[in-house]
Amino acid sequence: MLDKLARQIEALLLASDHVLTLERICELTGVHEDSALQAIERIRDSLTAGGHAIMVRKLGKGYRLGTDPDLGELVSGLFEDRRPGRLSRAALETLSVIAYSQPCTRADVEEIRGVNCDSSLGTLLERGMIQITGRKETPGRPLLYGTTSEFLEYFGLTDLDHLPRVGEITELLGMSPDEMRRRSMSVDHESEDGPAGR
Amino acid sequence: MSAETCRISFELFEGPLDLLLYLIRREELDIYDVPLTRVVDQYLDYVRKAEELDLDIASEYLVMAATLTSIKSRALLPRRAGTEEEEDPRDVLLRQLVLYRAFKEISIELKKFEDVWRDSFAAPGERERWASRSAPLFPGQAGVLDLVGTIEKLQTELEGPPPQRVQRPMLTIPDCIGLISEMAVSGRPVLLTELAGPSPTRYRMVCFFVTVLELARRGWVRLRQETPFSALAVERTERWA
Repeated sequence: MLDKLARQIEALLLASDHVLTLERICELTGVHEDSALQAIERIRDSLTAGGHAIMVRKLGKGYRLGTDPDLGELVSGLFEDRRPGRLSRAALETLSVIAYSQPCTRADVEEIRGVNCDSSLGTLLERGMIQITGRKETPGRPLLYGTTSEFLEYFGLTDLDHLPRVGEITELLGMSPDEMRRRSMSVDHESEDGPAGR
Repeated sequence: MSAETCRISFELFEGPLDLLLYLIRREELDIYDVPLTRVVDQYLDYVRKAEELDLDIASEYLVMAATLTSIKSRALLPRRAGTEEEEDPRDVLLRQLVLYRAFKEISIELKKFEDVWRDSFAAPGERERWASRSAPLFPGQAGVLDLVGTIEKLQTELEGPPPQRVQRPMLTIPDCIGLISEMAVSGRPVLLTELAGPSPTRYRMVCFFVTVLELARRGWVRLRQETPFSALAVERTERWA
C-alpha cells in the first residue's frame, strides 16, 4: 500500500503531460527533495512488485510515467501512422555529433561527417530533437545547436552524462592528430578494432 | 567493379569518409597507417566509375578525391624544408576519419536506445504534439531563438523572384532621332557629345550612341572622326528627308 506522499506524486506523474521536475514535485507537495526522491522509489518498487506495465522513467531534469517498452508493438497500435518514424542514419549521425559537441554550429557537424547536413538538421529541428541555443560570436555569427529534453526522452537517457562513451568521445574531440596517433599506440589494438570491425 | 555495385555503394555510403572507412576495413588496414596508397587508388576508382556511369554523387566525394590525389602526389615528392608550417593534409584526414568512425559507432549505439525507448509511451501531452503541429505552446516551450530561426526560415522561403516593376523608359530611340533631326543640320557636323546634351546620364549617352549607329546604318547620317579616339561628329546626309 502506498503512503499518502507517494500517492500524491503518483497522481502528479500521471496527470503531467510532460517531464515533471523534482523541483516542481516539491513545490506542489510541499516536501523536501529527499522525501520526494524516496517516495518516487516507493512508487517504483510498488509498480515492479505488482508486475505493472507502467514504469517511472528518469529523464533529464525530471520524471515521467511510461509504458514498458516490451509492450511497444501492442501499444503503438493505438497510434498507427501518427507516430513519427525512426530516425535515418544521417539524422542519427548528425544528432550524435551535436549531442557530444554542443553547442556547435552546422559547420562543426559538417566537418566531422564530411557531408552537407542541411536536411538532417531540418529534420531534427522539426522532430524537436535539437534546438537553436544561440549564435557563435565569430564572423557570420552562425547559429549554435544543442539537444533538447525531447532528445533525452526519445533515447531514454537520464541526462547528457549518460550518453554512451561520453568521457572517451569528449576527450577524442579535443585531441590533435598527433595525440590521436599516440593514443592508438598505447591502447590495446583489440579494443581499437572492437565495434568498428563490422 | 560492376555498374550495379558502384550504384549500390553510393547509395549505401553516407559520404566520402564512410566510403574511405569501408575501404580501409576491407583492406584490413589501420587508419593510423598513412598514406594508405591502395585505399586511395580504390577510392579514386569508385569515383571515376561513378562519373562514367553518370551517377549523381555528392560533390563532397569529388572534393575528397582531390584531397586524396593531393596527398598521394605529396607523398611522391621529396620533402621540402620550410613547408612544415602548413597543416599536413594527412593529419587533417586522419582526424576526420577517427572522429567520423567514433560518431558512426555512437549513432549505432543510440539507435539501440531508440529501438527500446521508442516503444515506451507516455501521457497525452506528447501525442497531442504529434497529432497537430499547430498545438498551442505552453509557457517555456519556445524561446526567442526559436522565433529568430523561424523568421529566418520564412525569409528565405519568401525571397522568391522579386516583383517585376516596369519602368517607363526615359528616352527612346525615336525620341533621339527626333532630337538629332532638330540639331543636325545638313552641312554642319554635330559632336555626339553635343547631341546628348550637358552632363548626360550613362543611359542617355548610350541611347544617343545606339541611335547614331542606327542612323548611320540607314545612311541618314555620316560619322566623322578627326583622329583616332577623338570626338565623333555626326553629319546629316541628303538621304535624310
